[in-house]
Amino acid sequence: MLLTTSVGSFPKPDYLIKARTQFSRNEITEEELHLLEKKAIAEVIKFQEEIGIDILVHGEMERGDMTTYFAEILEGFGISGLVRSYGNRYYRKPVILGKVKRNTPITVETFKYAQNLTSKPVKGMLTGPYTMMDWSFNEYYPSRKDTALALAEVIHQEVFDLEKAGAEYIQIDEPALSTRPEEINLAIEAMAIVTRGIKAKTISHICYGDFSKIYPRLLDFPVDQLDLEFANSNFSNLNLFREPKFTKEIAVGVIDVHSHKIETKEQVKANIKKALEVFPLEKVYIDPDCGLKTRTVEEAQAKLKVMVEAVREVKKELGIK
Amino acid sequence: MIKTSVVGSYPKISSDKNVPNLRTALNQFEQNRISEEKLEEVYKATIIRVLKEQENAGIDIITDGQIRWDDLLTPFSRNIEGCEVNGLLRFFDNNFYYRKPVIKSKMVFKDFTTLEDFKFAIANSNKTLKVVLPGGLTFAGLSLDEYYKDLMSFGMDYSQILKKEIQRLDMEGVDYIQLDEPSLCFVPQEISLLKESLRTIFSGIKAKTILFLYFGSIKNLVPELFDLPVDIIGIDLISKPENLSFILEADLKKELILGCLDARNTKMEDEKEILKLIEKVSMKIPPEKLYISPSCGLEFLPHENALRKLELLSSIAYKFNKTGV
Repeated sequence: MLLTTSVGSFPKPDYLIKARTQFSRNEITEEELHLLEKKAIAEVIKFQEEIGIDILVHGEMERGDMTTYFAEILEGFGISGLVRSYGNRYYRKPVILGKVKRNTPITVETFKYAQNLTSKPVKGMLTGPYTMMDWSFNEYYPSRKDTALALAEVIHQEVFDLEKAGAEYIQIDEPALSTRPEEINLAIEAMAIVTRGIKAKTISHICYGDFSKIYPRLLDFPVDQLDLEFANSNFSNLNLFREPKFTKEIAVGVIDVHSHKIETKEQVKANIKKALEVFPLEKVYIDPDCGLKTRTVEEAQAKLKVMVEAVREVKKELGIK
Repeated sequence: MIKTSVVGSYPKISSDKNVPNLRTALNQFEQNRISEEKLEEVYKATIIRVLKEQENAGIDIITDGQIRWDDLLTPFSRNIEGCEVNGLLRFFDNNFYYRKPVIKSKMVFKDFTTLEDFKFAIANSNKTLKVVLPGGLTFAGLSLDEYYKDLMSFGMDYSQILKKEIQRLDMEGVDYIQLDEPSLCFVPQEISLLKESLRTIFSGIKAKTILFLYFGSIKNLVPELFDLPVDIIGIDLISKPENLSFILEADLKKELILGCLDARNTKMEDEKEILKLIEKVSMKIPPEKLYISPSCGLEFLPHENALRKLELLSSIAYKFNKTGV
């Protein structure tokens, strides 16, 4: 009960940021980059073990953008020129140019490497079909639905292989889901393909949106656990989940990942207690709002430490081991 | 003769590595590696390039590409007293984020936002220029109002600010002034409020006035939409293809901009299909009253794709005008 986890990404250490730039300029080889990614993953795993996180993530050290990473490996995708996402931030957007196909497992090797470093469970981490579709240009499939369903089949193959490789938890993120509430049926249909026949615990993280437009339909989302942000809106969206009752497992974001400020233990404890007023204790997991990659390494570590300590104290108060 | 126009924004960085790069310059400026003057040079070089690219593509009514704008609201919101600029929020259904204005006290005009850029653009281009500003419903819809708590009084003060900016642009001789109102599609019940404020804002303005709606359906806005006190209505026919049928059914006296090329997808449209679409509309509205444009600002596309869409737009208009009139 009240197991702690993370949403996925961790900040990349300076040596890895430098290496990624060098690799993009052909100054180092792919092997050299991979070695440093492995080093960074090992550090992330070790840190989470040391502070006592229950379900670990590998920190996505090998990924830049959460859709582009998959698009670069899947057949049928190209990568666009630069597009601005806000301020002076740019990214390259996937472009679907042909039938989408997975020729080789994408994340399985990295998962195995991370899982072998620890006896605690490590989550398999994927981007969902609806988000892959919504965040890509599409020059091939006739409709959004055709695109999402084709992607779902491909991502299902990856989920299947992760399960075979021993993943107990597989997270398939759908951050785009809440932006077009009118398409929730499509997102559900696609996710049903992804998780079809899977026995591992499936999770989906959704963020940046107005949940009131997709609740309670959200409860039909075919995963075991939903991972939602609460801290950055100061739990103003919590009441929504009282009625009708939330029936799935829930990972509650109790740490604001967009703020430099480190929360106090008391704040985080209060956040956890708020969540427990609405969600049944046995279904609650505790984590930050979203991936930590936009924080510095020090900020991310400090935030997670506070989170773990707060959970420990709440558990003690509640008499949970 | 139909004319071509853009909606507003344009990619800020070029796919050509040999031209000044605004992204690099902004990074260097932030790290104190270049001066403000140097950054300003890059801004100006970028705006000139953007004006030229539209001219060379053969676009009739161009903008400065909103090169200094981070999003539709910033920096306009920074020039309003009583308004603070806060964290990032998703801009409609795009994977693009804008800074949310928070209204803390009465909104008062602080400074002109588009005046200097307009003067610069007019000095550097011979083409017809358009200036684009965020409409009141959209500004209200995308901000957090901690002061007015009522759309009517919010709108009244916001309209005064817009009016001041627009009157000055009009004095400087701007040809077209456009208000972007994507939010109107999502709050159709506010159309009468919008009508009142447009009357205030545009009274006595000599420039041609445009109201552009994108991302949404106009289903619940017709027929009132075509009675609004503006000269031209811009409509996105891509995000909601059904919008075409509302145009075809309406009794139209106004000029129209048809947003008929997808500014949010790299896929290139079939020229013949777009020509057919324009022909259909031109049975109802004479070509002199028609413009064609991308479906929204071009900044959702990478530079090379945006340019290709402009060239296609221009080629479509050329072919239509050659055969159609």
